[in-house]
Amino acid sequence: MLDPYPSTYRPLPRVDTLITGATVLDGAGHLLAGANVLLRDGKVAAIGADVTAPAGVTVIDAQGRWVTPGIVDIHTHLGDFPYPFASTDFNHSDVSETTDPNGAHTWAEHSITVQDPAFEAALAAGVTTVQVLPGSANLFGGRGVVLHNVPATTVQAKKFRGAPYSLKMACGENPKYNYGDNGRFPSSRMGNMAGYRDAFLEAQRYLQEWEAYEGGKGDEPPKRDLKMDTLAGVLRGDIKVHIHCYRADEIAELLDLAREFGFRITAFHHAVEAYKIPELLRQSGTCAAVWSDWWGYKQEAFDAIRENAAFLDAAGACVMMHSDSGIVGQRLVLETSKAMAAGQRAGLDIRKEHAITWVTSVPARAMGLGDRIGTLETGRNADLVIWSGDPFSVYTLADQVFIDGALAYDRKDPRRQPTSDLDAGLPATRSQP
Amino acid sequence: MSASRLSCSVAIIGSWLALAPPTSFAESFAIVNARAYTGEATEPIERATIAVEEGRISSVSANGASPPGARVIDARGGIVTAGLMGAGTQLGLVELYSLKETADQAVAKGPLGAAFDVQYALNANSTLIPQARADGVTRAMSYPTGSADLPFSGLGALLRLDASPDLLERPKAGLFIVTGGIAAMQGAGSRSAQWQLIRNAFDEAKRYRLSDKVRGPRDQLLNHLDAEALQPVVAGHMPLAIFANRESDIRQAVQLGKDYGTRVIVYGGAEAWRVAGLLAANRVGVVLDPVTNLPSSFDDLGVRADNAALLQKAGVTIAFFVPGIQQSHNVGTAIREGAGVAVAHGLPWSEALKAITVNPARIWGIDDHYGRIARGQDADLVLWDGDPLEPTSAALAVYVRGVAMPLDTRQKALRDRYAPQHRQDPWPPAYH
Repeated sequence: MLDPYPSTYRPLPRVDTLITGATVLDGAGHLLAGANVLLRDGKVAAIGADVTAPAGVTVIDAQGRWVTPGIVDIHTHLGDFPYPFASTDFNHSDVSETTDPNGAHTWAEHSITVQDPAFEAALAAGVTTVQVLPGSANLFGGRGVVLHNVPATTVQAKKFRGAPYSLKMACGENPKYNYGDNGRFPSSRMGNMAGYRDAFLEAQRYLQEWEAYEGGKGDEPPKRDLKMDTLAGVLRGDIKVHIHCYRADEIAELLDLAREFGFRITAFHHAVEAYKIPELLRQSGTCAAVWSDWWGYKQEAFDAIRENAAFLDAAGACVMMHSDSGIVGQRLVLETSKAMAAGQRAGLDIRKEHAITWVTSVPARAMGLGDRIGTLETGRNADLVIWSGDPFSVYTLADQVFIDGALAYDRKDPRRQPTSDLDAGLPATRSQP
Repeated sequence: MSASRLSCSVAIIGSWLALAPPTSFAESFAIVNARAYTGEATEPIERATIAVEEGRISSVSANGASPPGARVIDARGGIVTAGLMGAGTQLGLVELYSLKETADQAVAKGPLGAAFDVQYALNANSTLIPQARADGVTRAMSYPTGSADLPFSGLGALLRLDASPDLLERPKAGLFIVTGGIAAMQGAGSRSAQWQLIRNAFDEAKRYRLSDKVRGPRDQLLNHLDAEALQPVVAGHMPLAIFANRESDIRQAVQLGKDYGTRVIVYGGAEAWRVAGLLAANRVGVVLDPVTNLPSSFDDLGVRADNAALLQKAGVTIAFFVPGIQQSHNVGTAIREGAGVAVAHGLPWSEALKAITVNPARIWGIDDHYGRIARGQDADLVLWDGDPLEPTSAALAVYVRGVAMPLDTRQKALRDRYAPQHRQDPWPPAYH
């Protein structure tokens, strides 16, 4: 089915640019010292020490500074859990439709407040692409959406054209507490599993009806069902599945669920126990999207270890960092840095040029955008960050942030520091001292 | 990455860990060849010798001699700081926030308001304590929060994270109060009522002392527990820690302190930078969150990343906490990372270190014996493997009052069970 809510995104005004003399982590596993990067027509046109500036190109001296691809955050609630948090959000937050454990018919993009100042804060921290997901209160939380992190007055004007949709699912404590506490289904982990299986059984039937109709059988099209549209999209392989799941035993059950119904799980999010089953994840080609060190705020997060990402990586499993927080999302490279340091301390040899992929090319591939963003290879979108220094240090800030070749943020130029309407006209605020 | 790329850095770390003497008593020793950030000067003492006798620092000097007979620990040029202090934690009170039976930081119901005293719940066997220590924390304020009798949360306790069964450094260290829009919504409905109720409680507490021999009913809102708990506050002996983020509430907090002769500490202080001069003039310390630069509520619309830098420049004593998920469970890395973030936004490095050592000690009145590397201070010392304000750095050795602490944690035990080296082991990890 055609996307009824199509992207209207247009790149910001841009000029061709040559960045010179930078230390480049290209997102494809390489560290290039003293490299030049040419951005032309919104794409990475050339990269290397001997790349020169064609006539009329703006030159930025990045000697002593570092360049990475734009940071990609695969798990955010930017706009659907917006700042400032409000009392009206206590019972009616836009992040989850908490009245139905199957929220497959809800779409995160329909909840997004574009004036959430966390978008601009993420941009100033080098985040160029975000996936906005629904919350984890439901077995099926709904569809997620991928956005360019450009300021805009509509959601559609931020949508990443051609990015596959995703489905957010959740296992464990959140759905069973949200419903079980109110005497409703599900109230247990086996209830969670039964809920997924019932829904996918129905989706199989729905898909068969539609395929039969599309194959010429019957005159009347089957009745459309928004939940089943999403789940059938999963079974068809059009919609990527992202599952909030902490415990290793539950992750293993969900991998079996995917086999039972013949779909693929793209990533388990949070996944604090993924380190206990690296082989299962590697064999199924399923990623883990994790924090560096969060633990203990709930029972299923008791067994977190700081080596989680590094151990998965060492086993050859796909791993990436995510934020789930407008604050952590501003320091995703530092999250990577902490996870890398923990791995190094445990004896693993992890290099920055490899670890940076955990917040660039790995999440880009997981979103189905690996051929467009996530690395600085020639022909990729010119989404990149010039950092004040080594981005793995707490002291480093994003100096300049490019999206599709346009300078969307510049730490030294107030005219290139977008602010949310929330800040307009207030007494001196964070953006206007 | 393949397992064959495992390096030998485990062995290197192992030799560093051997620096920590396996004793449980405070022996005499000297750390030599340290880069000592003392908390007294901006610049470190290079090649410092820090001598420790009977749990206290007996001397600090560049290229100094070790006391005769003292064991010598070579820091090999590594950074040594005072043990860190978490200025706002729930260490000892919380294991898993979602499990109410393991979370003792708040009173859900009953008569305890200001009188709620967290000291009786402290759990020295909590898995959070070794984690905090391994991350360099040796002292902490554990405070009550979110209680039923808003705006009063209760009495916080100062902790000393040594290996003894008693974490208590000082119970009833301060009275905590929560103000602001969300608290008002959950409590009296208006923040004006909040401040009136606080003032009335103080007035009643004062009268309670004067009229305690009067018989018969009194027209009094406070019960005797709370009225008695407030006595040291209205007498000016116990500091009042007020959570306040909006400028108007911070101003009310300062005025309350002036009107009642009570020393006020502002917690949160998102908009404290707007009133930096007022806070400095009234010697009101601010315990702030250096990482949150987005407004958590409409109270915080003025929140900004350089709050710490602006306050310090104006002469306000600042300390750091990172409320939320990291507050207690990762207190050590969270306050170090927070201090680093504050440096990235303009705070001098030495001031950022003070905000997680000597400044919270000063704010809570224990700086006479803890917080600096100086003669006479408790030997709470941490030897780091790098810059402590980089959250990637780790503590190589941690001493509390001269005793080397074990750096084992539950997380390290899990790490060792599931380390890549065990992947080919046919026995399940439960046997490791």
